[in-house]
Amino acid sequence: MSDLAAAARMAPAAAAFRVLVVDDDPDMAAFLARLLAKEGMRADTVGDGEAALARIAADAPDLILLDVMLPGADGFAVCERLKAEPSSAMIPIVLVTALEDHESRVRGIRAGADDFLSKPVRREELVARVKTLRRLHETRRELEARRLGAEIQHKETLRKAFARYVSPRLAERIISEFAEDGTPFRREAQRVSVVALFADLRGFTRLTESTRVDEVVGMLNEYFSVITDAAYRHEGTIFSMAGDSLLVGFNVPFPQPDAAERACRAAQEMVAGFAPVLASWTERGGAPTGVGIGIASGEAILGNVGSPHYMSHTIIGDAVNTAARLVQMAPPGEMLVSRPVYDAVRGMLAPERVRSRGEVALRGKSEAIEVYSVRL
Amino acid sequence: MNDGVHKVTVAKDLQDLIPTFLKNRKKEFDNLRIALAAADFEQLRQLGHRMKGVGVSYGFERVSALGKSIEDGARSGDRASLQESISEYGEYLATVQVAYE
Repeated sequence: MSDLAAAARMAPAAAAFRVLVVDDDPDMAAFLARLLAKEGMRADTVGDGEAALARIAADAPDLILLDVMLPGADGFAVCERLKAEPSSAMIPIVLVTALEDHESRVRGIRAGADDFLSKPVRREELVARVKTLRRLHETRRELEARRLGAEIQHKETLRKAFARYVSPRLAERIISEFAEDGTPFRREAQRVSVVALFADLRGFTRLTESTRVDEVVGMLNEYFSVITDAAYRHEGTIFSMAGDSLLVGFNVPFPQPDAAERACRAAQEMVAGFAPVLASWTERGGAPTGVGIGIASGEAILGNVGSPHYMSHTIIGDAVNTAARLVQMAPPGEMLVSRPVYDAVRGMLAPERVRSRGEVALRGKSEAIEVYSVRL
Repeated sequence: MNDGVHKVTVAKDLQDLIPTFLKNRKKEFDNLRIALAAADFEQLRQLGHRMKGVGVSYGFERVSALGKSIEDGARSGDRASLQESISEYGEYLATVQVAYE
């Protein structure tokens, strides 16, 4: 059931108000049940304290009429146990008793009883007391439904806000971690196997030189809309967006056995999705540009990097550095991938679009790596 | 106190409960006699207490009044008073007439 459906279920409804009558005298129980039924309430009866506790645990009523003198656990003991249990503590309890002495009333109050009814039971008094408690109960339920509704609304707002900055699945995790103990991103840094994808708008710096400043932000937004949509469609997690480049991780923070294929499809859709945007820019006289992609796989560290004042939840490591170097070499409309990535995705690539670049020495890396170029 | 016939008026919406109610009172009367014969004052007290609670609730004020006498008599161990109350209860049950409105 969704949160909203749960909230709707809690709202005051036309459903009958349910009362459990606990009395070992069947005549008294039948009498009370009859009066309640006449008032449109649903009354069930049980004859002893243990049966009452079991019944309430299985199906909590809206109100309990509880006789004091019961075989086994008496009404005071039952009342105490119900009020000590969080799931039943809020159910109003009326102690029904022929005991008139002051001491018994005090015992009842100490046990947590919400009200008292003296035997013999006067019809008018019973109805008046139950109606009052019913009103209170329904008001409390309505307030609870409103509080839950507001909480859901707040959660939705948070989710939407987060989803603008991180992937929907990561947003979900952050919110649930926050709900658990108020500490999102609490996990320690961990070593993870990732497929890192860098996307970059090739030649954008040149483009900005010939474009009015106020247009640049709009163009970047168009570009990022296309490539973040593609990343999210394949459940990639966006870890950074800087200038005109985007870092997307796959297989992190959630396992994705087909991470390389997802990255490759996301890359294809980034380039394809950007084509109409590029056409519109060209029409408006923009300089030639296009999306270049670099993808590499390997180990990385996932964690919080920064200071207590500014922190980034990101991935760092060799796979990320390699993808960053590859994207710098990637021409518009192409992706450069490392050999392990190529091996994982070669089945989904048209051979005529693939070209081996052989062993390539990447800046900052001691050993050359095998690189493949894929025209998208 | 006993004028021969006891007339009780009961709310119509309780009418279908009354046969069971009266059957249970007759069982109660038997149990009272047994408890008195055995001088089981705790049992007498509990039975009287129950009568006191249920009688007026249904409209049988005399049942509650006799229940109180029996409960008090059991507390003080007054056998003569208990004997009197229980006998009166038997006569009452034998002669009570119920009307519904």
